[in-house]
Amino acid sequence: MPKILIPTPLRQYADKRDSIEVSGGTVGEALDALTMQYPELRRHLFTDEGKLRSFVNVYVSDEDIRYLNKDATPVKDTDTISIVPSIAGGSAGVAAPPAALDKDEILRYSRHLIIPEVGMEGQLKLKQAKVLLIGAGGLGAPLGLYLAAAGVGRIGIVDFDVVDFTNLQRQVIHGTHDVGRKKLDSAADAMLEINPHIQIDKHETALSSENALDILRDYDIVIDGTDNFPTRYLVNDACVLLKKPNVYGSIFRFEGQATIFAYGNGPCYRCLYPEPPPPGLVPSCAEGGVLGILPGTIGLIQATEAVKLLLGIGEPLVGRLLLYDALSMRFRELKLRRNVDCPVCGDHPTITELIDYHQFCGVPRQPEAPPVGMKEGEIDPADVKARIDRGERFVLIDVREPHEYQICKIPFAKLIPLGDLPKRIHELDSADEIVVHCKSGARSAKAADFLRQAGFKKVLNMKGGILAWSDKVDPSVPKY
Amino acid sequence: MIRIESEAWQAMVRHAESTFPNECCGAMLGVIDGDEKIVRRAVPLENAHPGPQAERYELRPEDLLRADREARQAGMDLIGIFHSHPDCDAYFSETDLKNSCPWYSFVVLSIKGGRFDHANSYLPNADQTAADKEILVY
Repeated sequence: MPKILIPTPLRQYADKRDSIEVSGGTVGEALDALTMQYPELRRHLFTDEGKLRSFVNVYVSDEDIRYLNKDATPVKDTDTISIVPSIAGGSAGVAAPPAALDKDEILRYSRHLIIPEVGMEGQLKLKQAKVLLIGAGGLGAPLGLYLAAAGVGRIGIVDFDVVDFTNLQRQVIHGTHDVGRKKLDSAADAMLEINPHIQIDKHETALSSENALDILRDYDIVIDGTDNFPTRYLVNDACVLLKKPNVYGSIFRFEGQATIFAYGNGPCYRCLYPEPPPPGLVPSCAEGGVLGILPGTIGLIQATEAVKLLLGIGEPLVGRLLLYDALSMRFRELKLRRNVDCPVCGDHPTITELIDYHQFCGVPRQPEAPPVGMKEGEIDPADVKARIDRGERFVLIDVREPHEYQICKIPFAKLIPLGDLPKRIHELDSADEIVVHCKSGARSAKAADFLRQAGFKKVLNMKGGILAWSDKVDPSVPKY
Repeated sequence: MIRIESEAWQAMVRHAESTFPNECCGAMLGVIDGDEKIVRRAVPLENAHPGPQAERYELRPEDLLRADREARQAGMDLIGIFHSHPDCDAYFSETDLKNSCPWYSFVVLSIKGGRFDHANSYLPNADQTAADKEILVY
């Protein structure tokens, strides 16, 4: 039977085969037999009217059938039929506009359109661009608002969190009335309110090794607005593997960093930080706090870099780590180089697929559930209150920092910050019963251990800290 | 996304620079790995456009057929077409679009003053009415 060679892009419609034997005495019959067997091939070769598409040429053993007998060209069992597109072109003629702006959009983007470096061509690039934001939090908020306003045509957001009151000090994409809503919904509403001409993809999930490649694959640029190390390494590795630029930013208290990883011959996050810090060493914003304006500054540096990449203008922040200090109001730059021995982007990578990032960073996959019930050496806030009410004699020590003590305190509590405890231990009497507390119970557990090791026998840790006190004893004590 | 390996890329740039101020054309052979196309070999082909070639090119189907055969013999596939735009940008022109096909990546190299300037890759749709830009790495 004659054999038909299937061009690479069409093999997906032909069981991935590169050649197929068909019956038929003429080219027309052979092609009919082929498309009968693989109906999906038909629309790729023929128009709706049943004619071969304009770019499709058919050859029988190196002869164009147009110069033979066309469809009726006879084929022998030993013949090979080839399908070859006719291709030509040239710079002549105008560039085909890939998309167009309507009248409303032209008005909306007029301040872009009159910049020569952006213009209609640039604005259309933005419209066709697909950008993924990892996180709709501190960094994601300014990013989402400004990228939407700038006209980035498709913006994906990965987030599974819910807006709470502590977010509002910096996550300006969410409002007070959004508390309790999904951040995805709240962010999308705000962005579409600014610019209804864009598309928003909501990915309500925690980014994981299982889903990251599938989610990231669709986008041109990934912007990392995460606040934890496992996700940061995950985003980095996925971007390197998919060869997507990773516009990175991070914030802490008054300082921020930004750069672009995994772009061109530039470095990746692992070139800068091959290993994660020991768990617990670097506090998160939730633990250490952050100036609410800071993510605005850093997020907009990321947004600027993303837009520059999309437009293909300027000098991208590649190979340079931009350091920002809000207190001194200074920017500095560190030069970064790709590490040829980097396990993921080096010359001989050892990481060629995504790994378990929680294990890599030494942190549990899920935050550990607080143990149910009282452990040895713990006391419930309600019992502490009962003891106070009964007039029992004991010493209550608050081991938080003075600025936290100013936010809220429990009456009768004596403030000795954890770090000062060793040098102020002489203020305590080991004969007294001592109850220690902090914000949520972790620091006071350390304080209790320290006191026990120092010979104090009657030490109890108030479980859940002042937050639990507010829940169980005195709701007038504010939570922070 | 399409990634062009160094040797193939250098061959493409050399071909485009040597045919300046005329347009060049050729085929790109390689493999497809999931969503990523990897070009391993570039095959310079003759510009068969009958008139002036400063802003036009044409591929002979026979040449393309040969390139396809070369690919199959080397365990690769014909995955793209390249051509140059002398002294203008690497856009996908109306002429490029109307004479393209949706099966391959179309890489356009901008050559300015005889030297390579920049490049883009395009994926034309089935009706040759629009082309998406593809991420190009070289």
